[in-house]
Amino acid sequence: MSPALSVPGTVLIAATTAAWIYASGMPSRTLRSSTLLGLAMFLPYLLLVPLMVKGPSVMGPGTGWAAALAVPWGILLHGLAGLLIATATVSMLTASDLRSGLLALPLPRLFTAILVQIVHQTLVLMSETKRVAAAVAVRGGSGRWRAALRMLTSLPRVWLPRILGRADRVAAAMELRGFAEADLRVFGQRKVGGPDVGVMALAGIALAVAATLRWGLP
Amino acid sequence: MTSVAPALAFDCVTVRYEPDAEPAIDNVTFSLAAGERAAVVGLNGSGKTTLLMAAVGLVAYEGEVCVRGTSVSWRTAADVRDQIGFLFNVPEDQLLFPKVIEDAAFGLLRRGTARTEAYRRAAAALDGLGVGALAEWPLQHLSHGQKQRVALAGAIITAPPLLLLDEPSAGLDPPGRRSLARLLDRLDAAMLIATHDLDFACRLCRRFIVLEGGRIAHDGEDVSAVRRLWEME
Repeated sequence: MSPALSVPGTVLIAATTAAWIYASGMPSRTLRSSTLLGLAMFLPYLLLVPLMVKGPSVMGPGTGWAAALAVPWGILLHGLAGLLIATATVSMLTASDLRSGLLALPLPRLFTAILVQIVHQTLVLMSETKRVAAAVAVRGGSGRWRAALRMLTSLPRVWLPRILGRADRVAAAMELRGFAEADLRVFGQRKVGGPDVGVMALAGIALAVAATLRWGLP
Repeated sequence: MTSVAPALAFDCVTVRYEPDAEPAIDNVTFSLAAGERAAVVGLNGSGKTTLLMAAVGLVAYEGEVCVRGTSVSWRTAADVRDQIGFLFNVPEDQLLFPKVIEDAAFGLLRRGTARTEAYRRAAAALDGLGVGALAEWPLQHLSHGQKQRVALAGAIITAPPLLLLDEPSAGLDPPGRRSLARLLDRLDAAMLIATHDLDFACRLCRRFIVLEGGRIAHDGEDVSAVRRLWEME
């Protein structure tokens, strides 16, 4: 049985997520927007519950509110917890830290170079998106929520062509500056030290605990 | 007597972005001697940026472009580009690293300079451009003018013999423009500077190449030809 379907399991997932967010020092604004995004993504599954209770049963005997709630509730809890933990982790890393981490992975050089550039360009795109959103808000003379809606609807016509143009120019700059041929490890790939081993051990223990909760002791 | 190859030579170069379209630059021929500086001026859409892009083989062209005697082709592009410092007209496009110092040092690190030495020289270059205090800053937090200077630091850090600068003074405040002109003036590199900023161009260049509709309308030391163009209604 999934841990999300028992009260202790739910409490454990919620407590672990809360502890992770607290330890990461996730900014409250990021927490709020990530929670809203997670709810928008995973709450709609709960809309199916009344249909599953009243409609023809595809769930076999024992169909009722509890059984109908089980799957959407599991999706909501796991999805939201996963999203918040991932966002909290990313929010405490600087782009340079993230790059150092990527460079430490045993991956082919070109693959790492592209990955590193994707991370960097994502940050650039985020500020570009904020500028486009500000322009849409100012030129549309609208409030925050209406601006967000206009932003969404204008994505294919405004944002996408700009991003494609930028991608072209960045590719030209990468070619010109010899980015693909460079060995990015010169930026300080670190050796695995004590704290790294500690973090990896903790992650291993967390994985083992999760597997035990999910499938029980062998 | 030995002859020195020009830093840059265009021979009947034509660029079309579409096969049936009007050429963006049309039958352009000129050369730039080693250490010489020239300003490429012209109205919007006259082909200045295309000219610079053709010089490094980033757009396809008919004719021949040579950098220090080497014809630019896909085979020679990497070697040729190692001899060129290039400044794009949107500096953000060429900043490829999260931190200012990392981006400025990249050219040296790529050539095998030790990290400590590369960072020391990058810090000095950033200092020279007035952005030394920003060395540890994330690039996203910089203003346009600051990004422009960081991009320029990355372009000149390896002391390339040829600099191709697309609107280097755009977005800089007047003291910034003056200090940039002083800094570029100290460099020995040949420079081709595409700009609308005539004061900036006059501080650095004696030669003016005027582009009109993709063709060279004037090439010489007479700045009045540029002023006439600027005063056109």
